[in-house]
Formats: sequence, C-alpha cells, structure tokens
Amino acid sequence: MDSRYVIGIDLGTTNCSLAYSDSTAPTERLEVPPVTLLPVPQLVNPGELRDESLLPSSLYLPGALDFPEGSLAVPWNPQPGYVVGRLAQKRGVENAGRLVSSAKSWLSQAGVDRTGAILPWSASEGVNKLSPVEASRRYLEHLRDAWDAKMPDAPFADQQTLVTVPASFDAVARELTLSAAEQAGYRNVILLEEPQSAFYAWIERHADWRQRVHPGDLILVVDVGGGTTDFTLIAVTERDGELALDRVAVGEHILLGGDNMDLALARSVERQLAEKGTKLDGLQLHALWHNSRVAKEKLLEPGSKAADEPVTILGKGTGLVGGTIKAKLRRADLTAILRDGFFPVVQSSDMPQRQRRIGLQEIGLPYAADAAITKHMARFLRQPPATAEHGAVRRTPSGLAAPTHVLFNGGVFNAALLRDRVVEVLDAWLAEERLPAVQPLSGEDLMHAVARGAAYYGLARRGRGVRIRGGVPRTYYVGIESSMPAVPGIPNPVKALTVAPFGMEEGTSAAIPTQEFGLVVGEPAEFRFFGSSARKNDPIGALIEDVGDDLEELSPMQVNLEAADGAGQLVPVSLETVVTETGVLQLWCVARDARRWKLEFNVRS
Amino acid sequence: MNRLILAFRSFFAILFSGALSEEIAAALGLSRRVVPKAAPTLAVSTPADGALQILAILQRDSRLIDFLMEDISSYDDEQVGAAVRSLHDTCRDALNRYVQLAPVIDGVEGTFTRLASIDPASVKLLGNVPPQPPPGGLLRHKGWRCLKVDLPALQGKQNMQVIAPAEVEIE
Repeated sequence: MDSRYVIGIDLGTTNCSLAYSDSTAPTERLEVPPVTLLPVPQLVNPGELRDESLLPSSLYLPGALDFPEGSLAVPWNPQPGYVVGRLAQKRGVENAGRLVSSAKSWLSQAGVDRTGAILPWSASEGVNKLSPVEASRRYLEHLRDAWDAKMPDAPFADQQTLVTVPASFDAVARELTLSAAEQAGYRNVILLEEPQSAFYAWIERHADWRQRVHPGDLILVVDVGGGTTDFTLIAVTERDGELALDRVAVGEHILLGGDNMDLALARSVERQLAEKGTKLDGLQLHALWHNSRVAKEKLLEPGSKAADEPVTILGKGTGLVGGTIKAKLRRADLTAILRDGFFPVVQSSDMPQRQRRIGLQEIGLPYAADAAITKHMARFLRQPPATAEHGAVRRTPSGLAAPTHVLFNGGVFNAALLRDRVVEVLDAWLAEERLPAVQPLSGEDLMHAVARGAAYYGLARRGRGVRIRGGVPRTYYVGIESSMPAVPGIPNPVKALTVAPFGMEEGTSAAIPTQEFGLVVGEPAEFRFFGSSARKNDPIGALIEDVGDDLEELSPMQVNLEAADGAGQLVPVSLETVVTETGVLQLWCVARDARRWKLEFNVRS
Repeated sequence: MNRLILAFRSFFAILFSGALSEEIAAALGLSRRVVPKAAPTLAVSTPADGALQILAILQRDSRLIDFLMEDISSYDDEQVGAAVRSLHDTCRDALNRYVQLAPVIDGVEGTFTRLASIDPASVKLLGNVPPQPPPGGLLRHKGWRCLKVDLPALQGKQNMQVIAPAEVEIE
C-alpha cells in the first residue's frame, strides 16, 4: 500500500532540508497535492532547541568539557554523544578539530577509505573519528527523529522517502548514500538527482508548466550549491500525444560552490586589511568570512545601490569598541570576484583547466582546479551527443548543445547579478551560431527547491504527475587485463568492457553475453571499475581497447565466491547488470548453473 | 446501617478486596482522597534568573554587556560608530527572537491621537492635565509593550550568575 506521506530530503554539502506532501490532501486544479517544508528542530545554543527551515550539515563531536551537562538533550535523545545542526556549526568555529563538515564531498572522494573513520580530517587528539557514511547517517537520522517528533501519528519509516544526490555522483557514491540512509533506519528510499529535483520543484510551482515549454525545447539546469556545481540537460519531447521529459546529459563532478565564493570575498577583504597592517587570527578570519557574506547579501539585494558595505570585526575580549576592525566590501570588488572571477565571459570553446597533476599531492578534497563556472558549462555543453538522445537535443553547427531555457538552482543564484551573467554568456554563444536567446525559467525559494522537488517526484512516481526519464547518468565499464605474456616493467594493458550503457533505465537488468570470466572459488576476485560521462554511445558488452582520458577509474569491485564445493576450483561466470528501482547500479556474477554473486564496491583505498 | 453489620461488611470487604465500597465508606463518614504524587522537582527559578538570562543572551548574541561596560570616551566617533552598527544588527536580531515587542499606541508620533480609555500604566499624560479624562492629545511617544516572551527553558544545574563564560584558548 502507498504511504500517506511522501518525504523529500535534500542531503546537502552545507545544509539539509526536508519537504513532504500528504497524498490524501485534496487537489484542486493541481496534478499533485501541495508540498510543505518541515521546520527541523535542532539545538541552536546549548539547552535551546529551535525550529529552523534548514539543518546545517555540521556534526560536532563534543569532549567532556565542551558543554554543560544535560544541555545537549533533544526531545528524542536525553544524552546524545554528538551535536548536529546550527549549534554544531557555531561551536565548530571555536574548535574546528571536533567538527565534521562537507561529509558529502568526502562521500564522492575515491582517493580515501569512505567507510573508514577519517573525519574530522584534521581532528584534535582524542576525538573519535567517524566515516563520511556515518556522518551522513547522523544527518539523515536527525531528520528522521525530527519528523517522528513532529508527526507522531505517521512514523517516518512507514513513509516513502526520496533522498537527493548530485547528478554527478558516481555509482559508488550513490550506493554509499543509500547505505547511510538504510543505516539511519530509512526503509522506503529512492535516490533522485538534484538538478532533476530542482526542475520538479519548478513544475510543482507552475501548474501551467505545459504551456511554458514545448516539444523540442532543451532545458539547462545550472545548480550551484554550497559545495558542488552540477549541470543537467532535460529535453522536452512528445510521447503518445503527451509532453514527456528526458534527462539527456549530466555533467562531471565539480567541487566548486557558494562556499568557495564567500571565501574568495573574505580573502579580498583580508588583503585590504593586511595592506593596512592588520593581521587576523583564526576566529577573526571566521568572523570576517561570516560578515563578508552578510555584506555580500546586502549589496546583492534587489534595489541596493550602495557602493560599499561595511564589514566589521568586533574586538576580542571585553574591549569591544577599542579592538574593532573596520573594512569595506566594495561593490566593484564583489562584481570582479563573483561575476568576473567565477562567471567570466568566455567563448564556448574555452575549456576549464584540467586538474593539476603534481607528483606529491596533499590528500584532501579534489577542489576544481578552475574556478570559472562558465568554462565548466562550456565543457558540459560540448559533451559529445548520445545516440539515446534520438535527436531530441538541439545542437549548433559546431556541436554545442543549445538550450532554449535555463533553470537556476542553489542559493548562489539568489543574486540577479550572477543569473544575468550566465544568461548573457549563453546568449552570446547561441547568437554566434545564429540561434535565439535562452529563456530563464523563474525558480523560487532556491534554498529549499531540491527537497520540495523530491517530494513532488515521490508523487509523480505514483502516476500523479509528470516523470523525467533518466536512467544511468554515465556509462560504466569493468577493466579486463589483456591475456598477454608479462613483460617486466610494463603493466599489462587494460581493456574496458561496457557493463551499463548511458541511460540504462531504473528497474531494468541486462546480461553481458560475450564475455565469461574464470573465477577461483574461495578467493576474492577484484575487478577494476570505470565510469565515463563523455562516452555515451558504447552499447552493453562493447570492449574498449584503449582506456584513455575519458574513462575515470572508480573504486574497484570485488566478489568472493564461497568455497562450498571444493576450493581451488575455477567457475566460469558471466556478468549481469541491474539498475534497481532505487537508482543504484549492481553487478552480478552468474554461473552457468544460475548461481549468482553480487560484486561489491571495495571503497577502502 | 447496623453497627455490627457495618463492622462485618467492612472487615470482609477489606479482607477480600482490599478496599471499602463507596457505600460503606460513606456510612463510616470516610471520603476518598487522592494522595498527590510527589511532583518532579523543578528547578526553582526566581525573577532574577529571567533577567540574567536575557542579559546572557544579549551578551552571547551581540556582546551588549561588553559594549556597555567598556569605557568608550577615548575612541573617536567613527570607531564607536563601526562597532555600534554591527552590534545594533545582532542585538536587535537577538531581542526580536526572544521577545516580541509592539508599540502601545500604533499611531504617528506628533499627531493628534484619540484615547479610548486611560490606564496610567500604559498611557502617561504629559502637560496640563485636566481633572476629567481628555478625549485625546498629541502622541509624543508610541510606547513599547511586550506581546510575547519566548525564552528557552532554564536547566536545573545552570549557574545563572555567569552571564558570559571566560574564554581560555588552549595553545
């Protein structure tokens, strides 16, 4: 039976939110019942619980002397060993060694053991670290407990839940997100891509959306969150006389977001102060970061004409006025940094700088090497077309995908300055090839759109609204070592076998008939695993001889065949791909006698 | 009721059911009284606690006590202005969050205001006040009234005397 409520959860890099819809609510003129945001109760100060519309994705691991006894109690737990949300964020500023933040970025970081206790990355002595999966679990748990506290008659675990992930998350990061949700006690979970969710939110807000887009239109979703930038193309098509939507392209994972922009602004004010001989310590820098953001928001308010906005850091200690440091955030600097630094006017052929490859690179988050989001956009629109598009994607003579509409998402785009710049750049690219300008789709409530859209999608899945057809957002391969005599010093070349083609739909499975592997029973066998968002036309079973730059290696996969019937035996198996209803990719080894073993991601590096 | 019967019925009622029936209890002149359960020991908070809590909040969120206690006579206006601008924002945010304020008379200051009734606690008459209540007068100050106080519950063990803890950084 369908659950009464459908819950959409935006598990963000810096903030989480929860929206829901009551499927039994009356719907007048609307396709689906309205979507509501759930205020999330959380500690905002020791001993003070308050409802806030966002839950900061911050986790603080307190020591014995951090908070007065009993001041961390929440309605569902009298003595939690950790703090989630606003208070965690606040206290983390004073003691960063106990703060876990940006857990989501670590979830997609293949260079580290993502199920190992690695966070906080630079933890203080004596802190019990936890894994990125565990941290995500705590945020999801908090949201579940908040729901159960507010809605005692409708237990969370009985409701349909949608959790969003960046479109650029690979199969491993998706599986890890799902397992965090399952560990948090979520029972009916489905994963949904954030840019799609933002588009659903737009549909939910515009009952007349069918009059606003037409078959042949191509919608570019630009989603710049706190920590990640995500691009998606959605094509409007016609199927059986009805409007249909297809998600036709997804961008690469770009670790670049609003937090980087605020930091850049704070750095510019810091330089201004340094020129005057004022040096700031860690806490003051944080205050500067926070106050620069407030100043930025004031300057970006519609109608604001001020040439600058003061940024003040109050004195440390009890000498407040005496120690006050004054600076100004100038509008000219703001425009130069945000608009011209992060969204420069570029040609559609300007590609972002590739990740620098230094011999010894510090392990940490792989932040984008190029901060120019417009260049990443050019690269995205220049992705080679997929045959699966069926010509649904409008392209310019030079092969650039040519959107007709653009939808913005993420708090960054509350600023008209930046929305206008993206439109300006897109229009210039299109005009150069004699195509008309793009039309911005007005998104509202950019901070909560993803959660709202997810709740809408939950109802759409029940046939009560339109559904975007998507499928696997990239092509996946397993690596096969060529059988060649070993040459010392030269690794055997690796070929890649296509196991999941781009666009393979949820709830389907496919066998890879051509290749059999001999697996030894009783020993773990490991497969190298690759993904590509650039190669979209490799059919299942296709063998790529040359594993080049466009294939990205992901965590290896391994399978351990139990040695029930005699160790040392060689079992011939073939591979089978399953894309589950929840949106997770699974690979299975199938023996000739139909016995099956699942390949598991080996996320320990 | 016969004394002997009453004694027997009481005896057997207590022996078999452990309690007297309503009827016997009434005849004996007994009344049922619910013994109140010991109330959970609540932290006793005094009016001073509420005042200290407000001070602690305004200090925590806007550093108002630091500002008021500082000798600002030696700083120039620009320095004071910069600090106050920042403090004013945060202090007002904090106040609005915990206390809901509204004018007593929602009118335009400097214009004639009709007075329905005059309660000396909420309206103060200035100038030449006649013995009979006047129909109205010039609104000089709108006054402030508190509509709602929304302070977090105090914790039993909290030491309210500490308005702001000392901060010690560990090297």
